[in-house]
Amino acid sequence: MALVEARGLTKVFRRPDKAPGLKGALRQLVVRRFTEKVAVDHVDLAIDAGEAVAYVGPNGAGKSTTVKLLSGILVPTAGEVRVGGVEPHRDRIANAHRIGVLFGQRTQLWWDLPVADSLDVLRDMYGIDRATYTRRLKRFDEVLELGEILPSLGRRLSLGQRMRADLAAALIHGPEVVYLDEPTIGLDIAVKDRVRGFLRSLRDEGTTIMLTSHDLRDIEDVCRRLVIIDGGRIIFDGALTALKDEFARERILHVETAADVPLAAVQASLAGATVTAGDSPRRFSVRFNRFAMTAGQVVAALAGHAELVDFHVDEPSIEDVVRRVYSGELMAR
Amino acid sequence: MLRTIRLYLRLLGTHLRASLEYEADFWLMALGAAMTQVAGFVFIAAVFLRVPDINGWTFWTVALLFGMVGFSEGVINLFFEGMWWLADLKHNGELDYLLVRPYPVALQALSSQVGLNGLGNLLTGGALIVAGLVNTDIDWSPATAVVAVLLFLGAMAARVGIMLACNATTFWLEGPTSMFAFAVHQVGDLARYPLAIYPVVLKGLLGVVLPFAFVSFFPVSWLTGEGGTGWLGLLTPLVGVYCVVLAAWVFRRGLTRYESAGN
Repeated sequence: MALVEARGLTKVFRRPDKAPGLKGALRQLVVRRFTEKVAVDHVDLAIDAGEAVAYVGPNGAGKSTTVKLLSGILVPTAGEVRVGGVEPHRDRIANAHRIGVLFGQRTQLWWDLPVADSLDVLRDMYGIDRATYTRRLKRFDEVLELGEILPSLGRRLSLGQRMRADLAAALIHGPEVVYLDEPTIGLDIAVKDRVRGFLRSLRDEGTTIMLTSHDLRDIEDVCRRLVIIDGGRIIFDGALTALKDEFARERILHVETAADVPLAAVQASLAGATVTAGDSPRRFSVRFNRFAMTAGQVVAALAGHAELVDFHVDEPSIEDVVRRVYSGELMAR
Repeated sequence: MLRTIRLYLRLLGTHLRASLEYEADFWLMALGAAMTQVAGFVFIAAVFLRVPDINGWTFWTVALLFGMVGFSEGVINLFFEGMWWLADLKHNGELDYLLVRPYPVALQALSSQVGLNGLGNLLTGGALIVAGLVNTDIDWSPATAVVAVLLFLGAMAARVGIMLACNATTFWLEGPTSMFAFAVHQVGDLARYPLAIYPVVLKGLLGVVLPFAFVSFFPVSWLTGEGGTGWLGLLTPLVGVYCVVLAAWVFRRGLTRYESAGN
């Protein structure tokens, strides 16, 4: 059985239906009208121990709601969740020892306490013995350079410092499963890199990770499996490479030839591909389906016209692919 | 159990430290609370200058009622002030992290604030209780003392339970408002006066629906023999347990309705 299992997971929020203005507010007092908004719609998900799963989708797709359902913060409207056999919202204490949660937009540190004290309160709450606690802190310090921020008050931290401290807070009890909701939001490149490095080391140690992010670099760095949600439904669930195979069929070969070659001649020799002129008469870009022809065939065809001085192949980034899935250009599943 | 209490005090302590940073606020709040208590008491003292007793309740037995209500208020301020912030915590989605920690959510929420005005309430309330006990004719025996302590604890639990239950109704409301709990809090102040002066409907309200009478009237009645309803006072510990259990139940039910914030 998978470590994290969701079946038919559904969350419906009921929002009061208010007409704008005072009049609308008054009417709502007398006649209560509600709109139901399905935030998560029959999601089935199984995550095995040790897997690192990226959970992506456009804003409002239901990512955070799913994370809150899986971690037991919200009670599902329908369907069920089990983490290690435990229903998170029914057995909160047992669940809490198993999971670690980070919401990038929100801190769990005590505002008026130094970071070190916040972490020690958590140590106390989780009942972590001193030796283990010191060992973990030392490790966090190595990767996240925590040492310098331990004496700072929660409210005085910069965003980057806060996120590092919050990561430590979410992981101080050595959870089996970690849910990270946008752990790199608003961070500069240097801190992002550090956080990604930390997540990779966590993954390599066998911690199960579920990561939501808008920065697809996070995902490529840490996760092998990708789940895409849109409108509360999962529209793709599979290996990152599979997504690329499935949707990123196009390659673009950029070439530079030693002599001028007419565009029409090149196009004629490459039926099925699209040739466009570059910024000089000796440069071309050839867009082709890599399942219809190989890069080698394209190069050979071009070499028939003139000697090739230089060439390189662009493969679409995962970012491109995901963007096109969101925009409905590519239909997954 | 011990661990739960120790952790509770530690969580409170984290906020105490913050509150103490603002020294001037601290003294002002404590003083303000004490003044409110004293002002109420000056009023009733003025009444007793004109009448010798209210339905048999003498000045000092009424002082006991005032003391019990004031002290219970202080207990909430100092140790359970977080209940008044529950509506905010809910509205701003700040219960998220509390829900994924291995410690009861209600206790984390209750310990999330310290109201230093409670010190003023505890001191004035305590002073009134002591003065009331000293000036009232009570047959003290070891048994009486033990029962009195039990009634006192029950009375405090009843007040905390009622107010927590009312604050937890915020889970059924949309806005970040504690208005309902605040209204009930005002009703609770009625327990400063002998129940006998109220019409039947209010007696029923204070005795059964929102049993504030068990915070002051019934236990004091048992101890002083005033009011002729002493036997009801012996139920105080049970009512206290009932209120706390009910509050915990309402809180748990409410928590399943929690919707967090944002996405």
